Amino acid sequence: MKFDDKIPIYYQIKQYIYKEIIINHLTPGSKVPAVRQLALDLAVNVNTVQRSLRELISEGVLESQRGKGNFVTTNPEILNNLRKNIVEEQLSLMYDHLASLQLTPDEMIQALTEYVNKRKETHHG
Amino acid sequence: MANLLTINHLSYSRNLQLILKDLNLELPYGQIVGLLGTNGAGKTTLMRLIAGNYIDRKNSISINTETNSAVRKSLVSFTEQVGGWSGHPRIFKIGNFYDALYEDFNLTTFNQLLSNLNLSPDQRVNQLSKGNFRKLVIAVTLARQTDLYLLDEPFDGIDSMTRKKIISSIIQWKPENATVLVSDHHVGDIANLLDQVVIIKDQHVAAQEAADTIRETLGKDIETYYEDFYREEL
Repeated sequence: MKFDDKIPIYYQIKQYIYKEIIINHLTPGSKVPAVRQLALDLAVNVNTVQRSLRELISEGVLESQRGKGNFVTTNPEILNNLRKNIVEEQLSLMYDHLASLQLTPDEMIQALTEYVNKRKETHHG
Repeated sequence: MANLLTINHLSYSRNLQLILKDLNLELPYGQIVGLLGTNGAGKTTLMRLIAGNYIDRKNSISINTETNSAVRKSLVSFTEQVGGWSGHPRIFKIGNFYDALYEDFNLTTFNQLLSNLNLSPDQRVNQLSKGNFRKLVIAVTLARQTDLYLLDEPFDGIDSMTRKKIISSIIQWKPENATVLVSDHHVGDIANLLDQVVIIKDQHVAAQEAADTIRETLGKDIETYYEDFYREEL
């Protein structure tokens, strides 16, 4: 994994784990690798991984089982919100970019619809 | 918990030249700390003083509250203390040598480190390439089980694959409570690894800052943060 050195590493690790969960590389209820293993895989400090996991646990995305390790939550509400939040984050970036180009909300919807259709065609064509 | 390393008002001259002046530094347990500074800033001198290789006459340095430099020597694993064996021994002989020399040297860990770093115990030291010699120094240094590790420019002049191997070894073998102080002039090599950085400039600690604070509060990458200390005077 490549990190952006301007953004805190613990934050980027959280984003990475969110994504692993959303694309089902880490399935609900499955065990997350041990702290040191994650640190080795990502070539980062053990303390940094610990901070990421601590925050994910307090958000309820991971559940810590004493002596057994950390597991992805099976709570559907949390998992749905996770997906929703990640998508919303990307949309909010796009909205801000387009707004800075002085597009109105209606123009944004139109542009997005056209663009999605274009991508669909190239994908199927 | 008390600090692992405390330095109060340390000054040091060599050949009538002042190298460090009124330097203060505190390091906690369980961190990886980058020691940054230009060539000649005094990084190596500071490490030698911490390790007890240079004598600090005023007892300004304490490790686990221990100020005696001879005792300190046994508490610190320093890359520069590796070497000085006679002849051209094979690597396994060097393992035996340090196993006899240091009570905290773990031969099993040493052999695991060798295998992780792709070094063969049968190789002779004089036949090692520069990169492989660096790897051997790291293996010896990390095979000791202690609280403070001083790695002086461990990535100097080695290729990126070797660097990755050394970084993995640090992550894998650092005891949880131990602190690693690693000096480097290419911060980018180790930026992802650091809990905090200490910048040596004008003979003292010009800055000490957590890596997350640099990124989160100042919005800078560590390399830019470091270089900005020098840009201001240009």
